[in-house]
Amino acid sequence: MQIYLPIAEMSLNAILLLGLGGMVGFLSGMFGVGGGFLMTPLLIFIGVPPAVAVGTEANQVVAASVSGALAHWRRGNVDIRMGVVLLIGGFIGSTLGIWLFTFLRSIGQIDFVISVSYVLFLGIIGVLMVVESGRSWLRARNPAAPRRKLHKHTWLHGLPFKMRFRRSKLYISALLPLGVGVFVGILAAIMGVGGGFVMVPAMIYLLGMPTSVVVGTSLFQIVFVTANVTFLQSVTNQTVDIVLAMLLVVGSVIGAQIGARVGAKLRGEEVRIALGLIVLAVCARVAWTLVATPEDVYFLGQPGAG
Amino acid sequence: MARLLSFLLALLVIIPAAKSQRLALDLSNDEVAISTGFTGTELLLFGATEGHGDIVVTVVGPRSDEVVWRKERVAGIWVSGDSITFKSAPAYYLIAASRPLQEIASPEILHQMQIGVAEIELSTGSQRSDAEVAAYREALIRNKKRRRLYSQDISNIKIVRDLLFRSTIPFPASVPTGEYQITVYLFKNGEPVGQQTTSLPVRKVGLGAQLYKFAHQQAPLYGAIAIAIALLAGWLAGVIFRRA
Repeated sequence: MQIYLPIAEMSLNAILLLGLGGMVGFLSGMFGVGGGFLMTPLLIFIGVPPAVAVGTEANQVVAASVSGALAHWRRGNVDIRMGVVLLIGGFIGSTLGIWLFTFLRSIGQIDFVISVSYVLFLGIIGVLMVVESGRSWLRARNPAAPRRKLHKHTWLHGLPFKMRFRRSKLYISALLPLGVGVFVGILAAIMGVGGGFVMVPAMIYLLGMPTSVVVGTSLFQIVFVTANVTFLQSVTNQTVDIVLAMLLVVGSVIGAQIGARVGAKLRGEEVRIALGLIVLAVCARVAWTLVATPEDVYFLGQPGAG
Repeated sequence: MARLLSFLLALLVIIPAAKSQRLALDLSNDEVAISTGFTGTELLLFGATEGHGDIVVTVVGPRSDEVVWRKERVAGIWVSGDSITFKSAPAYYLIAASRPLQEIASPEILHQMQIGVAEIELSTGSQRSDAEVAAYREALIRNKKRRRLYSQDISNIKIVRDLLFRSTIPFPASVPTGEYQITVYLFKNGEPVGQQTTSLPVRKVGLGAQLYKFAHQQAPLYGAIAIAIALLAGWLAGVIFRRA
C-alpha cells in the first residue's frame, strides 16, 4: 500500500513505515531510549531526503517522549529546576543548530554533516556502552572487584553561578546543565534526535545526578526541545512531513509498549550490551556510505539548495 | 540537370504549403493529479495527421535551476566538492518517435530543434572548461535518467494507416509539479512539416496538496499543528496502554 508523502515528495509503502516505526519503537521501549538515532538513518536508507528525515524525526520524537515524560512527572521523577536549566540551553542550542543546518544546506554539505555526526556519535556511544556494560556484567559475576567512587571532584565543580538542585541533591554551577542543554539542542536540530543517548550519560557522569531522576528529567527536556526543533524546521526549511511522522508515531507507540514489556524481563547489562551492538551496527552502516565509492560521483543538489 | 532543377523548384513550392500540415493531438487525461495514493501514472497520447510521415513527441517539464555536485575523496571519505548550476533545466524530458531519430531527420535539424535528450538546452554561467561543463552536463542527464525523469530511450509511437498515432507518456511517483509542454512534430523526408503543442499541468491534489500548500504558506501554524498532533498522539497512546 503506497502512500504519497507530501513534503518528502515521494511515495513509500505505508506498511513498511508502520513496521519501521514498530521496530524502532520496540527497541526504544525495550531500552528506554527515544529511538531517533536509529530512525533517522533508517529513513535515509529507504530514500527519504536527509533534511526531511531529520525534520520529521524531531516531530516523531515529541510524540515518542511525551507519554514517558508524563509518566515520570506523575511519579515525581522530574527535577524541574534542572529540567528548566537544561531546557534553556536546549532552546539556545536547537536555534543555533537550525541556523547551522540551513547554512550547511545552502552550501550543499548537509547530507555529509548528518552522516559524519551519526558516525561520530553512534561510534563513541556504542563503544562506551559495550565497554561499560561489559565491565559491569563482569563485575556482577565477580563481586570481589573494587567499586568505583560515587562522586569525584574536578575543575567542573569550580565554575561560577552555582545553583542548588534540591531534587537531584546537587549544588553545582548552572553553566554545566546549560552547556549540556546547548550541546544536545544542536544535536537535536542537525541529527533529528532527542539526544537522550548523549544527555543521560552526561547527567549521570558529568553532572552526577541520581539515576532515579535522570530519565524523567531528560524526557522532560526532550519533549520541549524537539517541539522547538519541529517548529523551527517547519518555519525555516519546510522539512517536517506530518504524514510520514504520523505513520511512524502509530507504529512506534505500539512497538514501544511491547518492547517495554519484553525489556522488563531482561537483565540490565545484557540489554545495554545489545543496544550498544545495535548502535555500532547502525554506525558501521552509515560509515560505509561515507567511504564506499558512490555509484555516481556526481549528484543533484537538494531542491532549494544554492 | 533540367529535371533536377525543376524538382528543386517544385520542392520550394511544396514545402511552404507542407509546413502548415495539420496535426491534432489529445491526451487521455487533461492533467496529472498527484493524490495520496499516487505511485506514478501513464497518460495515453493520441492524434491524427494528414498523410504519411514520421511523428516525434517531446514532453518537457517545468524549468528551474539544477545544481550538480561532484563528490571528492578527502582522506578516504567522500565529501561534496565542486558544483555547477544549470539555468532553467527541464525537470522532466521525454521523447517518443515512430522510428529511430537518426532515420527521421539529420543531426543538424534535430540539434536546431532541440529534439533528443542530448540536445536539451542546459546553459550555465560557469567559467570552467568546456570539457568539465560537459562532464557535469552528462552527469545531470544521467542522474535524471536514473530517476526516470529523462527518458532512458526513445519510446515507441504507433501509427495506424498513416492517419492516427498514439503513444504513452510515463510519469514516475517522484514527478515534479508544474506545467508540462507536449509537442508533436510531423516530419516528411527528413524535414519538419508540422508541429502542435499542448500543455499539461502536473499538480498535487487532495490532502497532500493542501498539506504541502499549508506547510509552505503558513509554516508557523503548520509547525504548531505538527507539535500539537504529536503531543496528543503520545499522550493518547500513554492513556490507552495504561488502561489496557
